[in-house]
Amino acid sequence: MSSLEQLRTDFQAALAAARTADDLQATRDRFVGRKQGLITALLKGVSSAPVEDRRALGSGANALKEEFEEAWQARAAVISAGAPVPDALDVTLPGRVPRIGRRHPLTQVRERIETIFASMGYAVIDGPELEDDWHNFEALNMPPEHPARDMQDTLYLGAPMPAADRKRHATLLRTHTSGMQIRHMEAHPPPVRVIAPGRVYRRDNFDATHTPMFTQVEGLVVDEGITLGDLKGTLNAFAERLYGAGIKTRFRPSFFPYTEPSAELDVSCLNCDGAGCALCKQSGWLEVLGCGMVHPAVFEAVGYDAERYTGFAFGIGIERLALRFYGLDDIRMFYENDLRFLEQLPL
Amino acid sequence: MKVPLSWLREFVDAPTDPAQVAARLAACGFAVEGIDAEVIDFEITANRPDCLSMYGLARETATAFDLPLKPLGATSRAPAAAEAKTTSKPSVPVSLDDDGCKRYALAVAAVRVGPSPSWLTDRLHQAGIRPINNIVDVTNFVMLEMGHPMHAFDAMKLAGPEIRVRKARRGERLTTLDGQSRTLDESMLVIADAERAVAIAGVMGGAPTEVSASTSRIALESAWFEPASVRTTSRRLALKTEASARFERGADIDAPPRAIARALDLFRSLGAGDLSEPIVDAYPVARTPRTLALRRDRLDRLLGTAVPGADVLRILTGLGFSPAPTADGWAVQVPAFRVDVQREADLIEEIGRHWGFDRIPATLPALRTPPPPHAPEVTRGRLLRNLLTGAGLQEAETFTFIERAAAEPFAGPDGLVAIANPLSEKFAVMRPSLLPGLLDALVYNRHRDATSVQLFEVGSAFTPRGEVRRAAWVLTGARGEHWSESSGDVDIYDAKGVAELLASALDLEVIAEPADDVPWFVKGRSARLRTRGEGGIEIARVGQIRPDLASARGLDAGIVVAGELDLVPDAARSQAGDANRRVQPLPRHPSIVRDLSLVIDERLPAEKVRGTIRRNAPATLVDVREFDRYQGAGVPQGSVSLSLRLTFRHAERTLTDSEVQQAVEAIVSALTAEHGVKLR
Repeated sequence: MSSLEQLRTDFQAALAAARTADDLQATRDRFVGRKQGLITALLKGVSSAPVEDRRALGSGANALKEEFEEAWQARAAVISAGAPVPDALDVTLPGRVPRIGRRHPLTQVRERIETIFASMGYAVIDGPELEDDWHNFEALNMPPEHPARDMQDTLYLGAPMPAADRKRHATLLRTHTSGMQIRHMEAHPPPVRVIAPGRVYRRDNFDATHTPMFTQVEGLVVDEGITLGDLKGTLNAFAERLYGAGIKTRFRPSFFPYTEPSAELDVSCLNCDGAGCALCKQSGWLEVLGCGMVHPAVFEAVGYDAERYTGFAFGIGIERLALRFYGLDDIRMFYENDLRFLEQLPL
Repeated sequence: MKVPLSWLREFVDAPTDPAQVAARLAACGFAVEGIDAEVIDFEITANRPDCLSMYGLARETATAFDLPLKPLGATSRAPAAAEAKTTSKPSVPVSLDDDGCKRYALAVAAVRVGPSPSWLTDRLHQAGIRPINNIVDVTNFVMLEMGHPMHAFDAMKLAGPEIRVRKARRGERLTTLDGQSRTLDESMLVIADAERAVAIAGVMGGAPTEVSASTSRIALESAWFEPASVRTTSRRLALKTEASARFERGADIDAPPRAIARALDLFRSLGAGDLSEPIVDAYPVARTPRTLALRRDRLDRLLGTAVPGADVLRILTGLGFSPAPTADGWAVQVPAFRVDVQREADLIEEIGRHWGFDRIPATLPALRTPPPPHAPEVTRGRLLRNLLTGAGLQEAETFTFIERAAAEPFAGPDGLVAIANPLSEKFAVMRPSLLPGLLDALVYNRHRDATSVQLFEVGSAFTPRGEVRRAAWVLTGARGEHWSESSGDVDIYDAKGVAELLASALDLEVIAEPADDVPWFVKGRSARLRTRGEGGIEIARVGQIRPDLASARGLDAGIVVAGELDLVPDAARSQAGDANRRVQPLPRHPSIVRDLSLVIDERLPAEKVRGTIRRNAPATLVDVREFDRYQGAGVPQGSVSLSLRLTFRHAERTLTDSEVQQAVEAIVSALTAEHGVKLR
């Protein structure tokens, strides 16, 4: 065996036996150490070899040194992979997550609805929660003693307060956000395309399915040439954006004093897709909102030309939608603010 | 309204499958509550009193299925007798002393009171009405069949005998058929005899004149009362009846004599009695039939589709209207029973719902003008919610009306806004602040193992002067939780920091001052934030909630810090101005920083120190910031060491050490002169 082959066998054995960084360093010193390295010595010996052998010996020794370096690096990589890194941190411990809160579920659903309508060119408006009789009832075709006032059992204030427009007195807690739309029409000529969200109040029981305070999003469109077909198209688009493209809709005639014709929008049951289940009480449909063409008496009340303009309006109860979105069966959960519930919501 | 299909089919050859009839009528606006065997329970909207009857719904069914409607009284039960005669010299004279009654028909009949046959009691049971005797049962049957309520008095028990429709006297009493003794007032319309009230008009009859087994003569009332009058009375007495439900929505003024005739037919066929003299029909001002113009163009434009003229005629005629063609559409006479049809749009709805909303093509309205921006309050609300959730607070929604005990500690000097008719004591007053609701929500979570709770709400609060929008927050427990360190519990600086964050987001420069007069906060642990400058207004209060208030609401341990920011309109405006914000050019010259460690009186507010520094510094002072506050060894008793970092920078050139040194010396001497501070 030539000395080159012997050296190769030796360093291979030495590297295979190396277990630690110290072993590695010792192997390096033994073979390629500047002073006593065996391969180093071989290379140093090249110049003193006979002239005819120099070339072969030189290239063989250089190749062996490269071979050693390669094998040493490979072994070093294996050893360092298993070796503890000094000052290593336990990176499996939890990070410092910045504290973050969530928007309330009613806010999330409300903003979802606002976003859909905003994309169709609606402006979101705001208004007072304490209303005067005119804006809550009379301007909406509900004169005093109108039986429809019973449909919205009203909470009244103990004493009148200055109303938002300072001309009237607030006497009641708004039963719908329609008063905001009346105010908007009183202040702006047509065309109108607005969304009116907010809390509303009715003298209703507080149980799993009722609450005396709930959240509404109402919408209003007024322009020349607005038709019941436009109402259908708009609310179909809304239902598809809210529930997905496969949703089916149905418009049933209904009654509201401020719209004529009036309708209710149902969507195919989200649970059974129309087959009939407990959620939809076997009907295959879920009620989503009330809507209709604005009653001409409403236009007359705000000084719009009821011959020239037509319009549509709709009103959505947020709590009921949110119950279905989150798979809940008790409306009171929205007002308990239990963190164990709220922290399950999306960010 | 419970409707047996077999009863409906007495008037129209409708399909025999209840589900089919229910579905078709639902599509015409009569929502179905349920179906039980052959009885369909329809929800009748408040505008359709005419459909609180079998015949009314039969008319809708006939139109919906395009079938003929049989005339009322054509049934096998009781064929109609010859037209009843009326008289001017009755044995029981009728006088209308109040225009709350527009028509009053009365028949006097000799009767034999007894049980009703089973076909009649079955019908009543199906419709949900308890049978009593043949006389009362017939009046109820007629009410269900044709929708017109009637009442039978025992004629022998009427003083006079006479009938007088008048307002009740104040304090007049009447025991009604339900056995309740009721006190009446002048707003209520009653039926009286010569001496006293015997019935509450349109609501309920009186017990003293009730038909009993011994009754031999009845006075049968079939009248028309003003809806508003019946509604007021019914509400005042908290007494809702089958009769009041129909009258307050609007009965058919043509119906009173027809209903009497129908009842008499039934009495005769049951052998229960017969008319003993001609019918009285007091109807001083006969109704003029209403005729409405229906324009072809308007019909198409409102529905967005062109319903063929033949269908318009079919639908209107089927529903009892009398349309006659005109140049631009039709002149439509409205039947008396359709009290809801007042104008053209109402006719268009009739056509739309029977043509079918599902047949109207869905379109989208053109957007002819650019949409306006959202209300500033809406944009501001979103900004606040984003900031507060980003800052780690969870949004809550608490009730706007709360119990008085929870509200009172937070009431302002003007007091609370009370609700006149609250649902319960828990919802008695409008919240004067968002804090009591948030405090309760915090306590609720503490009781459910949450140790660290940080909640906020954006909403309205109420004082007798009006409604104000606010954002409020409550914090308790650890600031953050991590295995690496204890970050400590929240204190008032956490609550104040939230206020400072929001103020800066709303572009408001604020200064703080102690606020020991805020009654719900601990003295010495509360501050008021004002906008800086002349005429600065208070915009927020922050502090520690008084422990006795927190424990009264159930807090077991720990402290609660809180804040509330007023969302004044000015703040909304500055937010809307965001789009025009200009940024300052970045500084081109380095800044020089000087730290000052001052020993000051512990009662001297940092705001005063800062104020003195600013007033006595050159314009090159760009920032003052506290970075340490220390009390203890090395600092005299009653004093505190406060360290501030001053940053100087000139916009045009590099400052020299000596000019900064000069500035600092001027500041220190001013601090010494004004507050007696010493350098440490």
